[in-house]
Amino acid sequence: MRLKDKVAVVTGAAQGIGRATVLMMGREGAKVVVADLQAEKAQTVANELHALGAEALAVEVDVADETSVKRMARNTFERFQRADILVNVAGIYYPKASVVDLTEEDWDRTINVNVGSNFLCCREFVPAMRAQKSGRIISLASGIGHYGMRQFSHYAASKAAVMGFVKALAREVGPDGITVNAICPGSANTSMPRQHRSEEEVMERLRATPLPHILEPEDIAGSIVFLASDAAAFITGQSYNINSGTYMF
Amino acid sequence: MSSVALITGGGGGIGGAVARRMAAAGIMVVIADYDGGAAEKVKSEIVAGGGNADALAIDVTVAREVNAVVADVAKRYGRIDILANIAGGSADTKRIEEFTWAQWKEVMDANLKGTFLMCREVAPLMQKQKSGRIINTASNYGVTGSALRTPYAAAKAGIITFTKSLALELAPDLVRANTVAPGPTDTPRVMEKESMEARKQRWWPQIPLGRTALPQDLAEMYFFLTTPQSAAITGQTFHVNGGVVMP
Repeated sequence: MRLKDKVAVVTGAAQGIGRATVLMMGREGAKVVVADLQAEKAQTVANELHALGAEALAVEVDVADETSVKRMARNTFERFQRADILVNVAGIYYPKASVVDLTEEDWDRTINVNVGSNFLCCREFVPAMRAQKSGRIISLASGIGHYGMRQFSHYAASKAAVMGFVKALAREVGPDGITVNAICPGSANTSMPRQHRSEEEVMERLRATPLPHILEPEDIAGSIVFLASDAAAFITGQSYNINSGTYMF
Repeated sequence: MSSVALITGGGGGIGGAVARRMAAAGIMVVIADYDGGAAEKVKSEIVAGGGNADALAIDVTVAREVNAVVADVAKRYGRIDILANIAGGSADTKRIEEFTWAQWKEVMDANLKGTFLMCREVAPLMQKQKSGRIINTASNYGVTGSALRTPYAAAKAGIITFTKSLALELAPDLVRANTVAPGPTDTPRVMEKESMEARKQRWWPQIPLGRTALPQDLAEMYFFLTTPQSAAITGQTFHVNGGVVMP
């Protein structure tokens, strides 16, 4: 078991990539905080983890709300007394709008949820990791943060910002034995792309990759668990693409 | 039946660590190195530890040697599941006007051409198998460049883009190709030229994680790229360098 007795906090863990990540981490021996805005769904995932024999705590969190994030950290430390791994998965991919039509509210909400959350969550957990001289932070960016996407300027900007944040934080906390990396998934078989595309369109895109391999949440989770494990002790400041070969930066 | 891995440069620091890591996971490793004695040494160690290994000498810059070795390995083991091209490197640091044409070609051949020749022979076998994993070796200098290392940086940049092209070409047959890009790594070869103390002074202050890489740090990345958890990964470059370069 690669994460035996490690305490992992995963935001956006109620579904998709976050859910696949906590289930894999539970199987690898981690104690998991299943954090999500959707409290009931988070509890369902925590129950799945219990059924696997893993320790899990469901926590309701709005990752763009300072008070809520502080409460999540408090709940984590009360229950597990430490935090070894933080995975920032929570994010939004909506609404679709041209730059000229995008409202200030939608811009702010996307930036706050997708990258502001990284700041708020890392700020709460870095001090404990620093004190124990070890920690792993993994943030979900996106290939769209590299190559852009029409009508998703807010999303593209937020995900590029995640990569910049990860590099800066990696430099800041490297001397304390904490690694910080990003994963850039391609279009994955989750509910996210289905928010603005038909089922047919989604499947067509998922099949249009060079490698004939539909990108599943477990594919992303596998790389997140690798980066969280001892095997990745010397990797920091990187943004790794997991996308069945869709793009290669 | 266990997987079969062919590892060039397998007698060296990083290559040896990769061979040991894969063997520890039950992979049959064929250790190929220019220095046949070094390959034998790694093989003996692995076999003594209960692993499966074979050793052979190869000059990856000579097409007929490459062809003969690949044919021999394929015949002996029936398949090649993993190809790790780690042979390469260059100790030469000089101003561009001091590099001879012969020296330029030597660095290009040892790194880029060797990788090409190996991939050219192994890829068709993997395509027939409808599975395979190729892992090539670049360097952070292949992205950042490096003063006084023009041929080496060019060769390593070449490997990154060669691998992307190869990945696109082989993807339909479920053969994946990726690149690992090490930063400063404490291998016996570099430490012959620079003491650990000198390396600490030169490198450690520049590296966010505060040290240079150990060959094992790299080996974990190569190994991960052979596992089912990396099934959706192809054409990518994985920098393992303690944060000294963050492209």
